[in-house]
Amino acid sequence: MKKKFSEIFTSKFILILVTGLCVIFIAISFFTNKLVTPLKNVVSAVVVPLQKGMNYMGLWATDGYDRLQEVNRLLDENEKLNEQVDNLTEENNRLKQDTYELDRLRELYELDAKYTEYPKTGARIIGTSSDNWFSTFTIDKGSDDGLETDMNVIAGGGLVGIITEVGKNYSVVKSIIEDGSYVSGQLIDTGDVCTIRGDIELMDQGLIHIQYFKNGITIRNGDKIVTSNISGKYLPGILIGYTKDVTTDANNLTQSGYLVPAVDFGHLQEVLVITKKKENGN
Amino acid sequence: MKRKIGELIIILLFYLFQVTLGRVISIAGIMPNLLIIIPVIFGYFNGKNEGMFTGFFAGALYDLSASSLFGFSSLVFIYIGYLAGIFYRRYEGTEIIFPLIIVSAGDLIYEFLSYIGNFLLHNRLNIVFFLTRFIIPEMIYTMLAFVILYKPLVWLNSHLNVRDKRRVNKFDERNI
Repeated sequence: MKKKFSEIFTSKFILILVTGLCVIFIAISFFTNKLVTPLKNVVSAVVVPLQKGMNYMGLWATDGYDRLQEVNRLLDENEKLNEQVDNLTEENNRLKQDTYELDRLRELYELDAKYTEYPKTGARIIGTSSDNWFSTFTIDKGSDDGLETDMNVIAGGGLVGIITEVGKNYSVVKSIIEDGSYVSGQLIDTGDVCTIRGDIELMDQGLIHIQYFKNGITIRNGDKIVTSNISGKYLPGILIGYTKDVTTDANNLTQSGYLVPAVDFGHLQEVLVITKKKENGN
Repeated sequence: MKRKIGELIIILLFYLFQVTLGRVISIAGIMPNLLIIIPVIFGYFNGKNEGMFTGFFAGALYDLSASSLFGFSSLVFIYIGYLAGIFYRRYEGTEIIFPLIIVSAGDLIYEFLSYIGNFLLHNRLNIVFFLTRFIIPEMIYTMLAFVILYKPLVWLNSHLNVRDKRRVNKFDERNI
């Protein structure tokens, strides 16, 4: 009986069996991720704490190394900065007086502050996508910390991306530089709308595409682009980046060019998640 | 059973290295594909079934952290493990060239398939760019990682074997 069992289960038979299984998995995950989500939760319960531990270890090691290297540089910088602090304190005092005046005037005209402060929570990046194609990354907070999909993620004052997947103790963030990511943006001063598209082929230049500006608008290098009011998922008024080399397209109707993201995607360690979602009437 | 658990722990460890240290050791944004090494090693040294077993779990973990379809990497890794298993006991264990060829070919095929699925089907026809910027650098980096990890993995593999044999021996004695 035992011999018979091993005769049936030859390597070839197993290969066909698992191939079928994998094809079924692929077919199901093509349409829904209901099958994968519980599996991911189980695996992440084991993996995420380990990942966190390794990440802290790595950070500790690089921190120590960096600290040794940077002491000299910091001493020089400290002198310069002290001078700057004096200058800035003076300037700050002057500006504060201006803000007081502005506040008074705003109250006078009953104007709300243009962009209200969004509630935010900090999170640490604990892992990247395992392949080279995508710039998604994993952060160490999930549904237990009140995060949901479609929440915006920022860092250093600029837009990083959006949460596409939430587990119990982790979330996956899709960044704006990723291939096939689209964000609706606008010029900060005039409000002219454009579309920002991530592209893997521009990865080395550190740029992304900016498209569909109406023809006839003057756009200079370094103009600020923020998320637009009409975006479906992104909250308005978050800085995305600065324009570069915008020229008229061949169709003579639109303008397009490049955008330098405000965030340094190469050295992200911590991000802020805006816990308020855009209300789009759904 | 002990052996299988040992293999799973190795896979988990490699996965952790891939997602956390991958960013640190990446050169020009390219990190080596560490998980593809496992089915080749275990298939080459222990036969088709082990290759398929490790390939399935390595691929499943790879899929969970990558944003592609679940099951795709598993499928490719299983075939790579099976392929490596065909050459089980045909070459000397000290010969590194042969498994190296399997790893590089496997990685090339796997990356090319994922290029087709993720980009070519979305009208990204710039094959030369994707080959020279992503696929071939990753293949070379994976080969380098394989050369470095070959000896430790072979040692681990034989270590797992010894334990298993001992257990089998005891079992036989008791039966007698």
